[in-house]
Amino acid sequence: MAILEVKNIRKSFGNIEVLKGIDFSLEEGQVLSIIGSSGSGKTTLLRCLNFLETPDAGEIIVKGETLFNSADPTTKSESQIRQKRLHFGLVFQSFNLFPQYTALENVLLAPKLTGKNNLEGRAKELFEQIGLADRMNNYPHQLSGGQQQRVAIARALILQPDILCFDEPTSALDPELTGEVLKVIRKLSESNMTMIIVTHEMEFARDVASHVIFMDGGEICEQGEPKELFANPKKERTRQFLAHY
Amino acid sequence: MELILRQLPIVINALNEGFVQTLKLFSITLLGAFPLGLLIAFGSLSRIRLISFVTKFIIWIIRGTPLMIQLLIVYYFPGLVLHKPIWGGGESGRFLAASIAFIINYSCYFSEIYRGGIQSVPVGQQEAGLVLGMTKWQIFTHVTLLQMIKRIVPPISNEIITLVKDTALARIIALQEVIWAGQAFMKGSHGISGAIWPLFFTAFYYLVFNGIVTVMLAWFERKLDYFR
Repeated sequence: MAILEVKNIRKSFGNIEVLKGIDFSLEEGQVLSIIGSSGSGKTTLLRCLNFLETPDAGEIIVKGETLFNSADPTTKSESQIRQKRLHFGLVFQSFNLFPQYTALENVLLAPKLTGKNNLEGRAKELFEQIGLADRMNNYPHQLSGGQQQRVAIARALILQPDILCFDEPTSALDPELTGEVLKVIRKLSESNMTMIIVTHEMEFARDVASHVIFMDGGEICEQGEPKELFANPKKERTRQFLAHY
Repeated sequence: MELILRQLPIVINALNEGFVQTLKLFSITLLGAFPLGLLIAFGSLSRIRLISFVTKFIIWIIRGTPLMIQLLIVYYFPGLVLHKPIWGGGESGRFLAASIAFIINYSCYFSEIYRGGIQSVPVGQQEAGLVLGMTKWQIFTHVTLLQMIKRIVPPISNEIITLVKDTALARIIALQEVIWAGQAFMKGSHGISGAIWPLFFTAFYYLVFNGIVTVMLAWFERKLDYFR
């Protein structure tokens, strides 16, 4: 059974239809890369999955449980959404660490507030994993962008989401720093973490993803195995887009 | 000069007494206006149009009229309408009325500073809290609030320093603060009359106190330097 099923997601801002009916599904342990030019709706799709936007239409089903159904208003209540969005984790382009807390406190804040204590040990393991065990008592402004983004990944992981989403995780980073972030994501994929990665790093998408979706104008233009899609794109639009890389 | 030196201890005693009243009004205004201002800021940020409209209307009235008039209205208007004074007689009644007028006035100014502070915290901070499963209130108290405070220290400092001097306006309803005490020596007080220098001397009190306030605020600002 698919861990995630997305059915006919539509979203408009004013008169602009940003998502024009998105369907896809994801198996456990799969890594999905979403590529496409700016304004194609990639980020909005991720934000819908994380309940930062409410889709106008469609369904989101995780592990057989309907988290969102536009036809069913009970799936839209705020207190329920807070529980449901924990199926997903989200790593932002701009990290969004909390500046007044140390790296470790950033990771532990949400668990503490939601009554999950005694996660210090787990947090320290995560800092080992992301290679920042020696920096966990630093404040965000004392860390480089790449380090901050790795802390943001640990902050998402401690809540043990079913699906971890990345919204252009390296777009705000110097080219020198993207490598360390991509390495962490790569390791996660090897440990069978289910992930959705919106990215402009085509090489990375080809290497790490098990499935690639190319979005254009709010629709899925083409999808498939990364090697096939990158080597032999079927649609003219996909070919045009990939020619830039 | 000799006369002044002879009068000095008497004057200082009286001015000290007046300054205690000044300090009380200053402190109670801050204690009241800090939280009330936050409530008003929430009101003007409310997504319910009616609430934000009414709040902004009140802010317009309060910021658009002189504090001196507000003091007079708060002190005298209830008595005119109800035909009996509601503030109680004497200095304590005047103090109560002055406190209420000052708290209302300053909380409106504070609320706009808070609003600016809240809105200047990047929306990504709130979104990060949301995707981590925090409630909006948790996000405000644990994420937004301290970042807001850090940003508003300079503008709030300005208001606090203005407040020290604005307390002099309570003189209009005869609150016996330091200016009142200084002015009393013109008409006659503690056996001294026709002296205007005590009134001028009150400026010294404001100056010294504002010096202390400035140092404390700078210390507080440095305390928040540990993050950006």
